[in-house]
Amino acid sequence: MWNTIFPYFLSGVSVGGQYALIAIGYSMVYGILRLINFAHGDVFMVAGILMVYISASGVPLWICIPLVLVLTSLLGFVIERLAYKPLRSAPRMSIMISAIGVSYTLQNLVLYVTGGLNQFYPTIPWISDSITIGTATTKIVTVVTPILTLLLVFGLVMLINHTKVGMAMRAVSKDFETSQLMGININRVISITFVIGSFLAGIGSMLYFTNYTTVIQTSGAMPGLKAFVAAVFGGIGSIPGAVIGAFIIGICENIIKGLDIILLKSGLIAKPMGLATFSDAFTFALLIIILVVKPTGLFGEKTIDKV
Amino acid sequence: MSMTEKKKISTPQIISAAIILAFYVLVFIAEQTLAPTSMIFTVLKKGATYALVAVSMNLLNGFTGIFSLGQAGFMLIGAYVYAIFTIPLAQRAAVYQYYNGGIVQFTLPVFIAMILSGLVAAFFAYLIGLPVLRLKSDYLAVATLGFAEIIRAIFQWDKIGPLTNGSNMLRLFPTFNDFNIKNSSGEVVVYLSTMVPLLISGVCIALILMLINSTFGRALRAMKDDEISAEAMGIHLASHKQLAFCISSFFTGVGGAMLAMYQTTVQAKSFTTAMTYEILLIVVIGGIGSVTGSCLSSFLFVACSEWWLRFLDQKQVIGGFEVPLLRNGFRLVVFSIIIMIVVLFFRQGIMGTRELPDLFRKKRSAAKKGA
Amino acid sequence: MAEKILRIEDLTMQFGGVVAVDHFSMVINQGEIVALIGPNGAGKTTAFNAVTGVYTPTSGSVFLGEKNITGLRPDQITALGIARTFQNIRLFSSMTVFENVLTAHHLRRTSNVFTATLRLNAAEEARMRKDTEELLKRVDLYEFKDEMATSLPYGKQRLLEIVRALATKPKLLLLDEPAAGMNPQETEELGEFIKRIRREFDLSIFIIEHHMNLVMGISDRIYVIEFGKQIAEGVPEEIQNNPAVIEAYLGGGEDL
Repeated sequence: MWNTIFPYFLSGVSVGGQYALIAIGYSMVYGILRLINFAHGDVFMVAGILMVYISASGVPLWICIPLVLVLTSLLGFVIERLAYKPLRSAPRMSIMISAIGVSYTLQNLVLYVTGGLNQFYPTIPWISDSITIGTATTKIVTVVTPILTLLLVFGLVMLINHTKVGMAMRAVSKDFETSQLMGININRVISITFVIGSFLAGIGSMLYFTNYTTVIQTSGAMPGLKAFVAAVFGGIGSIPGAVIGAFIIGICENIIKGLDIILLKSGLIAKPMGLATFSDAFTFALLIIILVVKPTGLFGEKTIDKV
Repeated sequence: MSMTEKKKISTPQIISAAIILAFYVLVFIAEQTLAPTSMIFTVLKKGATYALVAVSMNLLNGFTGIFSLGQAGFMLIGAYVYAIFTIPLAQRAAVYQYYNGGIVQFTLPVFIAMILSGLVAAFFAYLIGLPVLRLKSDYLAVATLGFAEIIRAIFQWDKIGPLTNGSNMLRLFPTFNDFNIKNSSGEVVVYLSTMVPLLISGVCIALILMLINSTFGRALRAMKDDEISAEAMGIHLASHKQLAFCISSFFTGVGGAMLAMYQTTVQAKSFTTAMTYEILLIVVIGGIGSVTGSCLSSFLFVACSEWWLRFLDQKQVIGGFEVPLLRNGFRLVVFSIIIMIVVLFFRQGIMGTRELPDLFRKKRSAAKKGA
Repeated sequence: MAEKILRIEDLTMQFGGVVAVDHFSMVINQGEIVALIGPNGAGKTTAFNAVTGVYTPTSGSVFLGEKNITGLRPDQITALGIARTFQNIRLFSSMTVFENVLTAHHLRRTSNVFTATLRLNAAEEARMRKDTEELLKRVDLYEFKDEMATSLPYGKQRLLEIVRALATKPKLLLLDEPAAGMNPQETEELGEFIKRIRREFDLSIFIIEHHMNLVMGISDRIYVIEFGKQIAEGVPEEIQNNPAVIEAYLGGGEDL
């Protein structure tokens, strides 16, 4: 039974790690700006597209990888400056609509450039190679992802808790206005947040698209949404929470994909029920449940509004 | 002049009514005289559909302040309910070919089916609203988006294929062209394929306007302005939010039915979040809080996307020299840029919070609404 | 023999580790103007919020007349006859002066959404409008009826908020620092206004205020609260001479 589940579990851990790298960006931005950055998933997708085009134009991979990371971070920075900063004092709905507009724009730009045709991600050596673990045959990236994710998260938590920049970020998420009064350069903190979030999304895209090699303009929508659910599940504003949430979602989603086969092989059902269609829906069901039962998520903090 | 005891009908309102009436008359005449395949009618039909959905979304997001992103899901429900109950009996075997003709073996008249579309959508809205409406605006947005995705997944599930045809298309149901009046030899005598959707849309939008201007409409606007003080003035938040949500979803469902009639086919996977985003952007361009704005913006949007800006998608060669940038997909890029410009610099949209009669009012003091 | 219109019995409000209101009790008799005063952060607005249903008491009860209203929703409590204004003005910003007051009539409707939408409730709508018109005329705000509510000068906005509360036909009116930000002239006019509406609308009034001239000038009785606990109760003269009260305010009445 475990042997049947294991391959799905393994790919779940892997995709969970990729979602985690995206989820962190959502969590951090929401923590500071109280904004759901609807465009974040599309930044992830653009990172994938950039890699496709830059490597196809002949640039060797060892330059591509850092270049794409730099460009992705830059993209996040530019989006914040152009589309969110001007609306900081506008009502909440305006900035959310702007985020949706950015998402729409990025998808249409990519659609235009690619002509809507599937793009194929270049093969990054070594992590694309096969490896067999127990009953599962998969790519090395599946094993590398969780390890890399945990290392990056560890680094990030160190940064937030032990550096001046990190302290500024924590201050701004606690109290936006007072931080400004205390002399913290809000614009810098916000930009750094977006840069870090986009950088991690860029790394996530390399890992993700090495696994699911097709890239089109809608490739960021689902992973983005799921990563957001992970962030909410773990407690928005909490980085460890986002990571744990992402792994849980990744694992559950993949197990559901294989649920028909798992149940068949263990003799619990006689014929397939087509449950794989619900693997995406599961994530949203989880979102609804957590929002209703514990809206602050697993590790989030409660805020009380003053009347 | 007192505008209190009995609301006298003012001159701007009469002018507005006249303009709308003239519009309908012109459309009717145009439909009898111009070629039926003319682009104008495509724009009017699709525009009417989108206008209804946009106004419903504005009712919810703009007037009540509930930032919901579930519209595609309710349109899906409306489209499916309409299609399922109007496919002619004789055609069901062909449409539901993998499901032995499907389990629904009767048909409803078109208008009954449309009302049913709205009712079923409103029912789902009620259920979804129970957990979701007490969430804060950002979470509510994502929760409704999530529900729309869940609905989309469910409607593609082949276990309920006998009802929904699984991931296959529903087709052969009555469409707008079936409203044309034909004579005994099958020739069209009176063209109504554009009038009818415009009338359906018009009636629905009129009802929404009447709601907005009623005491309930004021209660909804109060909730948007300040929930705490609205509650302190005796407005039960939960029930009024449900009211707005269900009514908006009813009309969104009807809009979905109209979309089915326009597209002549229905398939769950086409009701994506991108569809909801487009409606939202239409509402924003027209002006959040203006029904007139949503209508104008819908027709503009459809006209640009189906007709006027089509050229942006085609390669143009001028004097043996290919104009750069113009190829498939450029139109959407231009749209996106226009939308971002509106969102960033013209947040009020075309109409702000004004309605058609306000365009004809003399400018009062600077503090007057909409100035 | 005056009926007790409001009874707060042993009210405690605790937020996490903070006890904002500590076993507080008070009574308002029909027709009285009763003030609740105390240093900042003493728990006055919290007590208000417990009465109007914004908070659910941690323990204790609130009675409106004979009815136990503890833990009811704010809209239910307003329907029963308690209306309030807010410390920070909370008018409906997208609406005109007229619409603000008109909206407050919604809770007394008899129509439902269908009859209202289809305009089958014409008589009710006309009645609501007439009543709004009269209310605005009685307080000299009628000339501003089509102005955006938030464009009015500050003092008039406060007045509007009170009038809007009156439109809900309350028996008991709660005023949260109505004189905040007003100059002495305006404060005195407000005092006259409050006494007038008590008479004209047959109200009982519960007021939180820091302007001691106003408090002493219009209150029938005063309760003093500090750190959530009642430290004094009585008529204005008694309170002015009460040593505990004087000490709570650090050596002097808080005059303007």
